[in-house]
Amino acid sequence: MMRTIEIFIVIIIITGAFIISSFFAVLPQPREVSPLNLRRLALTTLQTLDLDHDLSETMFKPEDDPAWGELQIALSACLPPNMVYNLTVYEVLSGSGGELYLPMNSISNAESLGVGSDAASYLVASSNVTFGVVSEKIGEHGAGGTLYILNCSDANGWWITGYTAQSLAEDLYNLLSPYFLTTIMVQNTTELGQILNGTSLQSETLQNAVVINTCGETVPIPSSYADTYDSGSYAEYCYQLGKRVHQYNWTWVSIVGYPLYYVSNIEYFPNDHNTYGIYGMKCVGAAGLNAFLQGLNDESYSYNGNWITGNPNDNPGLASVHLSPEALYYCNYYGIYPSPYHTSTRALPSSILSTYNLEVTSYTFEQVGSWIAGAFFRHAVSGSFLALGLTRTPDIRLTALGLLCGFKPRLYRSEYTAAGTSRLVVLQLGQPGGV
Amino acid sequence: MVFLGAILIFIGLFNQTIQTAILYQHHRYLATKCSDLLDNILLNTGYPLEWGKSNCTPTSFGLQDPEFTQYKLSPFSLMRLNSSLGEPVYYPKTDSYYSNITMGFGKYLLVPYTLAVNYSTASRLLGINGTHGFQLTITPIITVSISEVQSNPLELVVDVTGAGFPLSNAGVSYCLIMVDPTGGEEYPAYTMEYGTTYTDDKGSALLNFPAVDGDAESYVLIAYAHLCGLIGVGYHEHVTYDENYVIPFVSDFEKREVIIAHSYDVHGGDNPAEIAYNATFVLLAEDFTLREIPMENSTGKIGKINYGEGKPYKKITIPTYNPGILVITYRKSAVMCGVVLMPWGIGSMAFPISFGDDPFGQEWVTTDTRQVIVNDVAYQAKLALWSLEGYRVIG
Repeated sequence: MMRTIEIFIVIIIITGAFIISSFFAVLPQPREVSPLNLRRLALTTLQTLDLDHDLSETMFKPEDDPAWGELQIALSACLPPNMVYNLTVYEVLSGSGGELYLPMNSISNAESLGVGSDAASYLVASSNVTFGVVSEKIGEHGAGGTLYILNCSDANGWWITGYTAQSLAEDLYNLLSPYFLTTIMVQNTTELGQILNGTSLQSETLQNAVVINTCGETVPIPSSYADTYDSGSYAEYCYQLGKRVHQYNWTWVSIVGYPLYYVSNIEYFPNDHNTYGIYGMKCVGAAGLNAFLQGLNDESYSYNGNWITGNPNDNPGLASVHLSPEALYYCNYYGIYPSPYHTSTRALPSSILSTYNLEVTSYTFEQVGSWIAGAFFRHAVSGSFLALGLTRTPDIRLTALGLLCGFKPRLYRSEYTAAGTSRLVVLQLGQPGGV
Repeated sequence: MVFLGAILIFIGLFNQTIQTAILYQHHRYLATKCSDLLDNILLNTGYPLEWGKSNCTPTSFGLQDPEFTQYKLSPFSLMRLNSSLGEPVYYPKTDSYYSNITMGFGKYLLVPYTLAVNYSTASRLLGINGTHGFQLTITPIITVSISEVQSNPLELVVDVTGAGFPLSNAGVSYCLIMVDPTGGEEYPAYTMEYGTTYTDDKGSALLNFPAVDGDAESYVLIAYAHLCGLIGVGYHEHVTYDENYVIPFVSDFEKREVIIAHSYDVHGGDNPAEIAYNATFVLLAEDFTLREIPMENSTGKIGKINYGEGKPYKKITIPTYNPGILVITYRKSAVMCGVVLMPWGIGSMAFPISFGDDPFGQEWVTTDTRQVIVNDVAYQAKLALWSLEGYRVIG
C-alpha cells in the first residue's frame, strides 16, 4: 500500500516538475533562430538607391511628384519578394530641447510589417545647401596667431629633393593659413633677420608666433648674423635661433631630416657648397641642433658636435614609423590624409626631454623605444619645437598635421539641422507571415 | 527500481527540450556569424588594397573597392574569384585551366586558375577553414533581358525587371554594335549606334532598327537600364558564323593582357579555319552611353589567328583599368562574321558570381543578404554559411 502511494507521489512530483520547468523554459520563436539582418539590408538598400543622389533629390520633392512613384517601383524591385517595407521621411529641425523630426511623407507596400521588423535610418542633404566649415584661428582667444613661413629666395634647401623651398612654402600657406590670424611669407634672409631682431614685418604680433623652416636640413642665415656668428661652423647662429624661440615663445618647425644641419645664404656663401654640389650653404653639422636646444633651454652656449639623432630600429631597412593614434584622429578631424607609414632616420632621442627641460605635448609619430620621430616639444618655460626626423623627401602635410595636433584649433561646421537642409529617411523592413 | 525508472523518465522528458534549446542556440550563432562574415567580406578591401588589379594572392580577403567606402565592391577583385558557376576550361596552348563564367555564346569571362583566388584560400584568410563552409553569390538586382521580335527590319524588345517586379519608366540607354566584315579590308570593322528610351508600364521598351537585317548581319546590343539609382545591364547578340570564332582568356591582370585564342583549340569543332579579328574597348560614361576607348595597333588590336600546332595565340592589352567591355569582332569571309564580348570588371556586363562550396546536403544553412554596388551596377550579395563541426555549440 505504502509503495503504491510512494509511486503516485513520485509520478506527481516528476510530472509537476516537468510541467513547471516547461512553463519557464521559453524557446525562441522559429523566425528568431536564423533571422535575416533586416537592419543591414535596409541600410544597404537606401545606400544603393542613393547611388547617384536620386534618393536625396526625391526626399525633397513634393508628395505628388512622380519621383515618389519611381522610388516605390525601385524599392519593390530591389527588395526580395517576401519583404514588406515602410519608408518614412522626416524633416530635421533644431528645437530648444534638441532635434525635432517632423514626418513629411511615407510609402509602404503593406498595411502592417508582420510580426517582426527592423529599420535603418539614413540622413540626406538637400542639393541646394552647401555645408561649410570655418576653423578657429590660432591666437584668436589668446596670444600669438602669426605664422611665418620661410620662403627665402636667397637660401637653398637640402633634403627637400624634388621640391623647392618656395613650392613647399606655397603648399604650407594653402594648408595652414586658414588656421592663423596672420600668415606671412618671409621672402628673404633680410626679412628673417628683421624678425629675429624683434621687428615685425607687417605690424603682426611677433610674440608666440610659429616659424616654419621650409629649407629642410638647411636654415637660412641673414648676412648680419653670418658676420657676427662666424666661428667656423655657425653653430652659434643656431644657438641664437634657439634663444629667439625662447625669448618670443615661438614654435620652430623643422619639416624633415636633421634640423639645422646647414646654414644657407646664396649671396654670402657664393662659393661654398654642402659637399653634395649645392652652393650657397655651409655645413654646421650636428652642433647646430645641440646649440639650438641650448638656446631654447636658455643656457649658455658651448660647442657640442655630438650626433644625437638616430634610426629607431638601428637598421636602414627597418626605419619605419607610423602615425600616432592622436595624429590619426586629427587626420580625420582636419581632413589631412598623409600616408600613415614613413621612414625615419633622424629621430630625436627622448633624453633631450630631461636635458633641455622639454615636454612632448603631442606625438605625430609613435615613439619607438627611446626615439621620437616626430613630436611637438614644449619647453618648460617658453618656446616650442616641432621636429619631423623623417628621411627625405618631405610630405608637407605631415608638418601641417603636426602643427594642428599641437595647437588643436577647433572646426565649426555648418549645422545640419538648419531648417530645410536635411531629411531623415527611415526604411523599415518586415517579413510577412506567422511565427 | 521504481526511483531509477522515474529518473530515467525525467531525463527522457527533458532531453528533448534541452536538445532543441542547444540546436536553437547553435543555429542562432551560425546566423550571427553569417551576418558578421558577410560584412567582413564586403566592407574590407583585403590586402594588398588593389589585389584585384594585380596578380598576387591576397594576404587578407575582402571585396570592397579601395577607392570607395560602404558596400561598393571592386569589379576586379570579383573577377579574380574562382567561379563555381561554370565548368573549368582547359586551353592546351597555355597548358592552363581557366575559371569559367559564360553567359551564352560570345559572352565569356575566363580567368586562369593560377591567378584566381580559390575557395580554400579565401576560407583560410577568413579564418573559417575547417570550421565553416560558405558560398557567396553576387547577382544583379535588375534583370535586363533582350529578345528579338522581328529580324528584318530588326526589332528588339528590352524587358527590365527587379525581384519579380517590372521596372516601369526606367531609362534605357543602348548601343548597337554592328559587324562590318569588309570594312577594314582584311579585318572586320564595326559601327556603333546609340540611343535612349524609356520602359512602359510593363517594364518593356521596343527598339527599332529599320536599316538592319537581323538575319543577315552580326550584331550585339548592350543596354543599360536605370531607375532611382538602380542600374542593370543586358545584352543580346546574333552572329552569322559560329564555326570558328575567337575566345578571350585573361592572361595578366597587372599588365591588363588578354589572350585571343582560336575556338578550335579550345572546343574543337568542324571545318577549322583561320579568322581575322578586330578588338575594341568600350566603357559606360556617366550619362549611360557607351564610349569607345581607342586601342593602339601595337596593343594587338587587330590580327589573324589560326588553329593547331605551331599557330600561337595572340595577345591584346586593355588600355585602362576603368571597367568596360572588350568587344572583339571576327570574320572568316565577307559574309561570315561574328562578335564576342568579355567584361573587364565584372559589373560592366552584370555577370553574376558564385564563389565557394555547394550548400546542398548540409544539415543547416543560414543565409544573409546585402545590397551592393559593383561599378555602379546594383547587385545583391548573399552569403550561405554552414557549420562543418556538426551539432556542437561552438564559439
